[in-house]
Amino acid sequence: MRKILIVDDSIESSQLLKRILMKRGYPNIILSHSAEDAFNILHANDSISDIDLVLLDIVMPGMDGIEACIKIKQDVKLRDIPIIMVTGMDKSSVLEQAFRAGAMDYIKKPYDILELHARVRNALNLKREMDKRKARELELLEVTEELKALNTVLEQLSNIDGLTGVANRRSFDTYLQSEWDRACRTGDHLSIILFDIDKFKLYNDTYGHQEGDDCLKRIAQICKTAIKRSNDLVARYGGEEFAVVLPNTELQGALNIAEIIRIEIENQKIPHESSPVENYVTISAGVATACPKKGNITLEQLVNIADQGLYFCKRNGRNQVRSIQPN
Amino acid sequence: MSTFSIIVDKDLEDLIPSFLSNRTKDIITMKEALETRNFEQIRIIGHSMKGFGSGYGFDYVSDAGKILEVAAKESNAVVIQETILKLEDYFANIKISFE
Repeated sequence: MRKILIVDDSIESSQLLKRILMKRGYPNIILSHSAEDAFNILHANDSISDIDLVLLDIVMPGMDGIEACIKIKQDVKLRDIPIIMVTGMDKSSVLEQAFRAGAMDYIKKPYDILELHARVRNALNLKREMDKRKARELELLEVTEELKALNTVLEQLSNIDGLTGVANRRSFDTYLQSEWDRACRTGDHLSIILFDIDKFKLYNDTYGHQEGDDCLKRIAQICKTAIKRSNDLVARYGGEEFAVVLPNTELQGALNIAEIIRIEIENQKIPHESSPVENYVTISAGVATACPKKGNITLEQLVNIADQGLYFCKRNGRNQVRSIQPN
Repeated sequence: MSTFSIIVDKDLEDLIPSFLSNRTKDIITMKEALETRNFEQIRIIGHSMKGFGSGYGFDYVSDAGKILEVAAKESNAVVIQETILKLEDYFANIKISFE
């Protein structure tokens, strides 16, 4: 039910207007005899006002209609309510002021009933369309928010290794590239660790793939717990191979972290009875460091150096950390 | 003495007693305002009467309101006095029917 507020200091004028409109099928009409009182009515709800149209007399004691119109249009909660100025004045300058204040239309006193009805109907139709549009916009906003949230979840899922819950290879590549670019700008060091579970094929052969998966999960968690900084990244590099990106870390720091991870895993004493290394799970880790800004090494070379370190460990008895770079 | 026949919309019937008593009050107020030469008050009353008079079926109230508003702006006490008297005469001789 459309609600109309009539603001007019003259009781006779407002009563007359009310009766005319009621007869024309607008039963929900509120009368107010001053602009100040009108604002109390308009602000009766904490949220958006439920008034659909304001018929505002121009000449009133206290705050006049023009000033009230400006104030309504400046109020975020009220500004979408259409205002029709009601005036007994003929001066075009007054009407100009009213339109400049934000009024959408005007009605002259004495009222021409047909004209009055047409103008009120137009204003209410406009308000109805605005309400519909706002509802659609709100709906659209909600759907957009939902989509955004879903996209975030999807993005997170697409960056996470499904088995171990740490970053996947794709995420590792992206993160390593972005940290490389950052280090190019800042001149910081960037280190990586590549490590492999020693003789993991034998682990799977001995305990089965289910146990193998559980072992990978445990290793990922141990590694995740071992790194302390929020911008260090643990990723599953592939199969039983993991990688750690360590921004702003020099070689010795990276070797220390790799050693901590190795020891943590060793301390878990996860049984690996068929391993020729130890009777529990161990890892071999290769470490590499670069200062990209110096430009004497490429990103691919950095990964390759870590990989060579890892293979050095494998050739050298496993369960150890190595870098082939001079410390 | 002539009688003024007024036809009022039936939907407004319940508003007419207060409409008439308010006009009596307006006439008293304007007389007092004229004595003190408070033309602004007369202008406001005239402006209001101009706006609603014919809407209730009292065309002369609108006409008189318009005359009072203009005369008050010009501080024309003679026209104001004359119009107030005419209004008094008008209200004393109206015959209202509701349709």
